[in-house]
Amino acid sequence: MDWHLLGLSFITVFLSELGDKSQLAAIALSGSSRSPRMVFLGTSAALLLASFLGVLIGHETAQFLPTRVVKLVAAIGFVILAVRLLWPRTESSEIEPS
Amino acid sequence: MPVQLTSSPVKLNPLSLEDPLPPSQESTFIPAEAFEQATNPLSPLLKVFGTTFLTVFLAELGDKTQLTTLLMSAESNAPWVVFLGAGAALVTTSFLGVWVGQWIASRVSPKTLETGAGMMLLVIAALLLWDVVGG
Repeated sequence: MDWHLLGLSFITVFLSELGDKSQLAAIALSGSSRSPRMVFLGTSAALLLASFLGVLIGHETAQFLPTRVVKLVAAIGFVILAVRLLWPRTESSEIEPS
Repeated sequence: MPVQLTSSPVKLNPLSLEDPLPPSQESTFIPAEAFEQATNPLSPLLKVFGTTFLTVFLAELGDKTQLTTLLMSAESNAPWVVFLGAGAALVTTSFLGVWVGQWIASRVSPKTLETGAGMMLLVIAALLLWDVVGG
C-alpha cells in the first residue's frame, strides 16, 4: 500500500471539496430534510460513484460525457428542489386549519 | 435529530362534526404523515436518497474533484489507492456537510431554514449554470 499516495489523494480531494457545491448541497438538503441519514448516504454514494467512474474511465471521461448537458440537467434538478422548498406544494396548505 | 412539526396534520373524522365520538375513540386518530410512513416506511426515505443521489451525482460528474482524481490515477500506477483516498475524503466532506446542516437545523426555525436551504440550492444551480456558460 502506497500510504504517501493515499494521504496525498485524501488531502487533495478533501481540500478541493470543502465548501464546494456538493457539500453545500449536503448542508442544504440535510437541514431541510427529515432523514439526514439518507441525505448522507445519497451524497456519499453519488460522490463515490462519480470518482469511481473517474478512475475507471480515466482520461476518456472528458470526451465521453457531454459535461455541459449533464451540468445543465443537474442545475435544473437543484432549481426544482429549491422551488419545492421555497414554495411548498398545495398539499401542505390543504392540511393546515382554515 | 429534531422532528419538524411544521404542520400537525391531524385529520379529523368528518363524521365527528355531527356525531361526536367518545373521547377514547377520538384519541386513536393518527396524524396523516405518521400513518403514511407506517404503511409505506421505505418510499419517503428512498425518495430522499434518490433525489440527493441524482442531483449530486450529476453536479459532480466532470467537476474538478473528478478531474483531480483521474489526473492522479493516470499519473500514478495505483489508481485504486487514489480512489480509496478520494473516496474517504468525499465521504468525510459529505458527513461534515450533513452534520453542519443538522447543526443549523437545531438552532434556526423551520421556516427560515427552508428559505435558506432553498436559496442555497438556487446558488448551487447558478454555479452550475456558470460552469455551463463559461466552459
